[in-house]
Amino acid sequence: MAKTRQNSCVTSNRDRPAGHRAIALRSLRLLTVRDLKVRYSTSLLGYLWSILDPLLMSVIYWFIFTQLMSRSLGEAPYIVFLLSAMLPWVWFNGAVGDSSRAFLRDVKLVRSVSLPRWIWVARIVCSKGIEFLLSLPVLVLFAILTGAEANWLLVLYPLGVLLTGALVLGVGLILAPLVVFFRDLERATKLVLRVLFYASPVIYGANDLPQGFAFVAWANPLSGIFSLFRAGFFPDQLHWGLVAVSAGITCVILVVGIVVFKRSVGGVLKEL
Amino acid sequence: MQAVAPEIITADGLGVRFRRNRGSRRSFKDLFSSKKRRKRAGEFWALRDVTFTVRPGEAIGVVGRNGQGKSTLLKLVAGVLLPDEGTVKVHGGVAPLIELTGGFAGDLTVRDNIHLTAGMHGLSRREIAERFDSIVEFAEARDVLDTPFKHLSSGMKVRVAFSVVSQLDEPVLLVDEVLAVGDKAFRNKCYQRIDQMLAEGRTLFLVSHSERDLRRFCTRALYLDGGRLKFDGPIEETLARYNKDHGTEG
Repeated sequence: MAKTRQNSCVTSNRDRPAGHRAIALRSLRLLTVRDLKVRYSTSLLGYLWSILDPLLMSVIYWFIFTQLMSRSLGEAPYIVFLLSAMLPWVWFNGAVGDSSRAFLRDVKLVRSVSLPRWIWVARIVCSKGIEFLLSLPVLVLFAILTGAEANWLLVLYPLGVLLTGALVLGVGLILAPLVVFFRDLERATKLVLRVLFYASPVIYGANDLPQGFAFVAWANPLSGIFSLFRAGFFPDQLHWGLVAVSAGITCVILVVGIVVFKRSVGGVLKEL
Repeated sequence: MQAVAPEIITADGLGVRFRRNRGSRRSFKDLFSSKKRRKRAGEFWALRDVTFTVRPGEAIGVVGRNGQGKSTLLKLVAGVLLPDEGTVKVHGGVAPLIELTGGFAGDLTVRDNIHLTAGMHGLSRREIAERFDSIVEFAEARDVLDTPFKHLSSGMKVRVAFSVVSQLDEPVLLVDEVLAVGDKAFRNKCYQRIDQMLAEGRTLFLVSHSERDLRRFCTRALYLDGGRLKFDGPIEETLARYNKDHGTEG
């Protein structure tokens, strides 16, 4: 027998407009936590995985460029130089890669809840962003071990985080709906990301680009962002021109993302 | 006292179109063309010109043959599908019993899932804590609380999902055929729960092929045919018309 419950109040006049945003934000938090929980509850190493990937990559490049060859790129200590851009790169890479599956991964959930749709992208940006923040101790550890000198430009770090978040969100808003219509984009994204890794100043600094190739840095919003992330340890890497261009491109991408997303979301829901 | 309340659901000229076949071309240009009433090649209107209003506390059934737009209508009301033309307004939230187990993550425990789903449907942490026990009790899921959701039997999954959604405060309840699942005892329990919710003054929107269910809960029914609202009236009259149009048995 069903027991009678005492929640007999029908709250039809709960003020929705105000409540709407609160529910959206709460859902965003819940989904982000869910992503992290799923990730950490199903794997033995859990948290270590989010560190292992960038760490391994960095160690490999460190080995190649300082042990096998004599380093002519970047600055010393090279491992800190690498990590300071590798960690945000992993955030960017992971979030963009995942947002190409933002709708497909949770089809049923998207189809059964009437939350504002941008949440499905934002939750990926957030969960990957949190993983990024959680991986920062690695950078700190290596900075201490190698005796890298930090300076006051570390205050730019939050700006870097903000720009990365906005950029990833913008790209995700464009990518997520389009992948639903053009499934090829998912694989294309992986390819582009791989190229983009080498086209971004991760294993080198923006200053290292040879004369004729400087445009690569200017066209890529990540170069300005990474220069912010590096400034705290390598003040010479900070390039305000690049930062300004990055911020500009990021804004454009974000606006385009919002427009594309708004336009296409109706079609996305039908397609799922 | 609720008799004078205004409409809780207003649908006005509601229409939505789908592509007939997946292969039909879609170009980037589509993204930037405005939504016109125009129908493109290979598309059809799954629902069109559907207009109705619902007052709080009404229990409405939706009848029609397969593929006539019943579930689509429900999805539009639930807000999980967006109309191409017209509007649908729901004053207050809806508790959708559609795609019941959809929101549940297989890797997380039942406990986590209950918190997650209830939270996404708008319950605060405190409200969830208050209702947690009755949710678990209703689903008879006490023993599996810490089991990953994917290891539950399919019947148990539906139970858990139903008891979460039926604990929501939302004034509108949308039910799409889900009552067909689960064993008889649990189905009776669900019926009782829905009865109870109706008695509390909630609004019910029920899609079903079972005339018994429709008669049991509903006072009024919408009859959809070919994506259009063919008839809107008392349940008996609607069922009579439906049966007359579509032959022998109900």
